Amino acid sequence: MSILFSGRASGASDSAPGLLQKFVMGIVTHLRQAVSSLGELWRSPIWTLVTIAVLGVSMTLPATLHVLVKNLQQVSSSYDQSFEISLFLKNDVSETDIATLVTLLQGDRDVAKVRLIDKTAAMAEFKQESGFGEAIAFLDQNPLPDVLLVTPAQNQPAAAEALLNKLQKERFVELAKLDISWLERLAAIMSLVQQVVYTIAALLLSGALLVIGNTIRLLIMDKKAEIEVMKLVGATDSFIQRPFLYTGIWLGVFGGFLAFLVIELMLFWLRGAIANVTQLYQSGFSLNVLTLQEFGLLMLIAVALGLVGSYLAVRSHIKAIEPC
Amino acid sequence: MLQFEQVSKSYPGGFVALDRVSFELQKGEMAFLTGHSGAGKSTMLKLISLIERPSAGRVVINGIDLSGIRSSQIPYVRRDIGMIFQDHRLLMNHSVFDNVALPLVIEGFTGRDMARRVHAALDQVGLLDKARCLPATLSGGEAQRVGIARAVVNKPPLLLADEPTGNLDPDLSKDIMRVFEAFNQAGVSVLVASHDLSLIARMRYRTMTLKSGKMINDGLLHSEEAQ
Repeated sequence: MSILFSGRASGASDSAPGLLQKFVMGIVTHLRQAVSSLGELWRSPIWTLVTIAVLGVSMTLPATLHVLVKNLQQVSSSYDQSFEISLFLKNDVSETDIATLVTLLQGDRDVAKVRLIDKTAAMAEFKQESGFGEAIAFLDQNPLPDVLLVTPAQNQPAAAEALLNKLQKERFVELAKLDISWLERLAAIMSLVQQVVYTIAALLLSGALLVIGNTIRLLIMDKKAEIEVMKLVGATDSFIQRPFLYTGIWLGVFGGFLAFLVIELMLFWLRGAIANVTQLYQSGFSLNVLTLQEFGLLMLIAVALGLVGSYLAVRSHIKAIEPC
Repeated sequence: MLQFEQVSKSYPGGFVALDRVSFELQKGEMAFLTGHSGAGKSTMLKLISLIERPSAGRVVINGIDLSGIRSSQIPYVRRDIGMIFQDHRLLMNHSVFDNVALPLVIEGFTGRDMARRVHAALDQVGLLDKARCLPATLSGGEAQRVGIARAVVNKPPLLLADEPTGNLDPDLSKDIMRVFEAFNQAGVSVLVASHDLSLIARMRYRTMTLKSGKMINDGLLHSEEAQ
């Protein structure tokens, strides 16, 4: 496109016949800039390494905490069977009514399982376990109620609580009980830890963003003369800034991969110690590592940080450089 | 094709670099711009290449008023103007070939098409055998000719040179001027700012003389005046 001389052929667009060829040329230009910006990084290795290290470390900490939270959640989910609601039934309920209630509950979508402990069985168990066998024999009547143990379909405290409130209103139910306070506390602590992780992550990543921006700014200052010449021979701002954006992307790629390596090494190192502990507790716990999706997300965040950091630097500094 | 209409340029602080300068350069014309340093030669060239904007008056290229050019359009205007500098402004860590190819890369040329044009431009300035060299290994005259090759590689209709022979001895200066003449004969409009009066006088082209921002002479400069 020539502004001053309308008839003048200018640019590759006029000599290239097809749209496809233009597209291919654009790709080639991009690839060339991507590769050459990789070479640029190679030329100033110390700053590059420092920046990659900062980015890698800032991503390692939140990612490690994420893995920690994930594993804690796995541990706490193994306590989910303790989400059991005990329904103490009224004394005058007949056996057919109980049977009806059990069928009714089994048909409920929110209920996973119902188990009946009738008062005779409960009495026998109590006699055996409590050691009051002799004293209980003097009772002329069984004081224990029939009990239904209901397991909720969903394993969240909130869902269990909702079900509890519903069952409380059943006609034959004297008292419904769910011991979830400690589970609620655990869930609250987990969500607190998660929020702390997110806050720390946000702080660390904004720090990394600033470091990337500063590195790109130094690269721009280093190439001030070159940028002036490019502006003089007619390069647009977007053409000049593209290699720096690619540099940011490369920093992100390397930083993200560094974080991944550090996490994997750390987990590898911890695995032996954890195996010892779980063996002593005879639990089937196994350490969860990063999944492929999580690795992808890690890389995506790192690349996005690199791109945004370099864009912030590029936007203000390339415009400021004018030939004189 | 290039017109100045009552163009003035003053800088903050009151320094007047150009004072109501008017002239017109025809298509295919070659002219010199001369005067002492600080007379306003560089300012004139900067107004043409949109490095600076005039305080008053109009600069018109090919009928288009440059005051209507938005800053986002400036790169496209500069692609129509070949510029040569006293310090040649080459990229020192890139080869001669890469330096000359720069304007083509910016315009999106790739591969064989680009190489063909770069070699043609280097051939025109007689440096085809130096394509792989780094600028640091070139002499002053060679570096300046690389600068010229870069300016002409995308065949601009207008060529501006700011003191192109400022750092060169007389023989090399003459060579450089011959290169400009050759491009002018191929139809390119050429405007050369220089204070090398004896060289200009011998070339016998239209010469405009600036003094303290005012145009004091426009026409042929004779050898006697140059003395």
